[in-house]
Amino acid sequence: MAQTAVVTKEKQRKTSLLQILYKHGTLLAILAVITYFSMTIEQFFTYENFSDILRSISIVTLVAIGITFSLIVDGFDLSVGSTVSLSTIASAAALVLYRQEILVTLLVPILLGIAVGLLNSLLIVKLKLPDLLATLAVMYIINGIQLTYTKGFSIYNDMPLPEGGTAPGKFIPSFLFIGQGEWLGIPFSVLLMLFLVFVSHLFLTYTKPGRLFYMTGENREAARLSGIPVNRYRTYAYVISGLFAAIAGIVLASRIGTGQVSAGAPLLMDGVAAAFIGISVFGIGKPNVIGTMFGSILIGVLLNGLTMMNVPYYAQDIIKGGILVGALALSHIQKK
Amino acid sequence: MNELQMLNISKSFDKVTVLNGVNFHVKQGEVHALLGMNGAGKSTLMKILAGDFPPDDGTIMIDGKQYTFSSPLDAKKAGIGLVAQEVDTVLFPALSVCENIIANEIIDTKTSPFLSWNNQKQRAKELLRQVGLEMDVNKLVYECSLHEKQLILLAKVLSSSAKYIILDEPTAPLSTAETKTLFQIIRKLKAKGVSFIYISHKLGEIKEICDCVTILRDGKVVHSSPISDITIEQMVEHMIGRTYKSAKKEKRTLDETIAFEVKNLFIPKTKTTVNLQIRKGEIVGIAGLVGAGKTELAHSLFGLEKTSGQWRINGKEYTISSPIEAIEAGISYIPEERRKQGLFMNESVQKNLTVRLLSSLTNFQWIHRQREEKLALNLIESLKIHPSFPKITVRHLSGGNQQKVVIGKWLSTNSEVFIFDEPTKGIDVNAKAEIFSIIQSLAKQGKAILYLTNEFQELLDIADTIHVMVDGKFVKTFSAEEATHEKLVYYSSGGETSWHKLPS
Repeated sequence: MAQTAVVTKEKQRKTSLLQILYKHGTLLAILAVITYFSMTIEQFFTYENFSDILRSISIVTLVAIGITFSLIVDGFDLSVGSTVSLSTIASAAALVLYRQEILVTLLVPILLGIAVGLLNSLLIVKLKLPDLLATLAVMYIINGIQLTYTKGFSIYNDMPLPEGGTAPGKFIPSFLFIGQGEWLGIPFSVLLMLFLVFVSHLFLTYTKPGRLFYMTGENREAARLSGIPVNRYRTYAYVISGLFAAIAGIVLASRIGTGQVSAGAPLLMDGVAAAFIGISVFGIGKPNVIGTMFGSILIGVLLNGLTMMNVPYYAQDIIKGGILVGALALSHIQKK
Repeated sequence: MNELQMLNISKSFDKVTVLNGVNFHVKQGEVHALLGMNGAGKSTLMKILAGDFPPDDGTIMIDGKQYTFSSPLDAKKAGIGLVAQEVDTVLFPALSVCENIIANEIIDTKTSPFLSWNNQKQRAKELLRQVGLEMDVNKLVYECSLHEKQLILLAKVLSSSAKYIILDEPTAPLSTAETKTLFQIIRKLKAKGVSFIYISHKLGEIKEICDCVTILRDGKVVHSSPISDITIEQMVEHMIGRTYKSAKKEKRTLDETIAFEVKNLFIPKTKTTVNLQIRKGEIVGIAGLVGAGKTELAHSLFGLEKTSGQWRINGKEYTISSPIEAIEAGISYIPEERRKQGLFMNESVQKNLTVRLLSSLTNFQWIHRQREEKLALNLIESLKIHPSFPKITVRHLSGGNQQKVVIGKWLSTNSEVFIFDEPTKGIDVNAKAEIFSIIQSLAKQGKAILYLTNEFQELLDIADTIHVMVDGKFVKTFSAEEATHEKLVYYSSGGETSWHKLPS
């Protein structure tokens, strides 16, 4: 009864179609896309395919969480894609070229990701360069570094070495578990993603530092006058962004089982689109991690379906760009 | 008859009459001062003259010809030039001096799309020479000093052969020497038959440079005469009109202990140092016109500028170089631009109010939401913030209620010193009264309060001690009983820095 009353009241408020679309547009879009693909593609609605979708979503989500943090402090990080590539190469190199065990293999890419974040914040926070341009430059630098290090070749088990012989190490099972393993029928990478989404969400919503991240982004001048160390929080945001890109790179290396050069490049656009779609989920109007996850679900489902419909990958870029434009337009409409 | 005449000009905005039958005459080769308090109608009159908008009623005659301006371009063609107060808003910083000066000609020229650089540079140099400036015309404008920019703007105005030039607060950003140079240029141009309408709050200067004066009050001309017929004191009287009798304040006996003291505080922009003392529970007012350095003083006190000085708060010494240090020392700052500097507009009232208090609301960084809401509700109630919902977005509040939120942010902290920078800007009378009672109750709690404003009446209503600030210095100090509106206007207009004694 009470619920019906609320619903009628809601109706009386005459919420326009646009507002409903804005608030629940992403969820409706996800449902519509899933329904459509289920009806048109035979193998779409299967356990194998969904587990596959979820695995790729988990990587995009990790990248997008990092971008979300930079967006929250009113910044932007274009370098995440190449940081993913760097991290993929670094973990593969540690395993294959240096025969390291799991600890070092995880630590090296993570430290590299943090270093990229520190470099970004040095340029943006200390030297006060515009964030878009600074991270664009860093994106090229990092991409160049991983290409130079590998001379453009991927790193894989038993690869021949230039000085003769084959590589001493290989992708060890404990590392491969991250991207390929399952736990209770759920891919481990998906569990990792859910855990990190959950932790980030709690951190941003319920803790003091989380609140101050948002305050810094909302009005940096007012935040500074309120005694918030805004530069410190902006630095944290870029470091967290680098860190999440590094984790995504590890998962990616583990999932494909090789260190492919420039493997992270396409993830930048997916992550940016996911984070911006996330702003409009539930009509929150601010960058947020839960929304970001739904954003990457939408993109993941869409890309998977399109691939199964034999839409070539290069044409998928048109769709991705279109989605980003739509998400930006939605968040712009709400601001008005 | 060469003369600019504005006859019987009237203008209303939304039923509020801003100008009511104003007659304003400027003869050729005359420097004519236009005076009035904030809201007297000076800027509206000048905007009408510059073609920003038409008057509701009245006519403009220039050299015997009647004009109706439907755009600033019309006014420019009729020979009206405007040197705006904010020179930076009308110049193109990334273009060269030459390009800026001849911008009008480039825009107006309908003949050839090709420019002859040599001719243009020659022309720019010539125009600069008229305003007494010898400089490289290839220099970019953003590299020029403020004084140079002003002269460049004057040269630009001259390039469109303006005969009547409006100077809006031209000396506000200038040093004494630069002001003297400007006056020489004005005199030289005057001799060539150019007329100036000179708007300034610095009455001493007006006595020095102007030939005639017209004083506006509440949209009417209350006085117009040659400058020699009027003294500075009389100008002040005409500007204020009635002698305001301040509502008799209760005489408060103040604690003699000094709560806040700052010595040799350096204000970078004006390159001056000030000393300031505030007793426990005292409200100290700083009276100064726009540009007197009040906000810069507040910024220096709060550690927002690179500065030096010794702070002493309740007997403890501090040096402060950042807002964080200022806050830790116990200083709160309610900034002038509340939307830009004071509020998180898209966040809730609650989040705005508790931003300084989060440490007391957290366990291991985890915010205790119920405690937070309770605290916010208490503050909302004690400040009478309306509507009284902690979750409402600040953007939806009225200006007065937004200001209460800005103040509320500091109330439960350990602040001992409160700096209010123009706290009543743009808020209505009721909210103003509420803000005043908040400030008074803070004073009753023994806090030290600094109140900076150019609304002198407010200081007469609330302050115990008033310092008058001019160009970053305190020029006069009054107790509440001694202060009158006239005295504050007189001294803040630089009444005693006797410009007329300067050699010309």
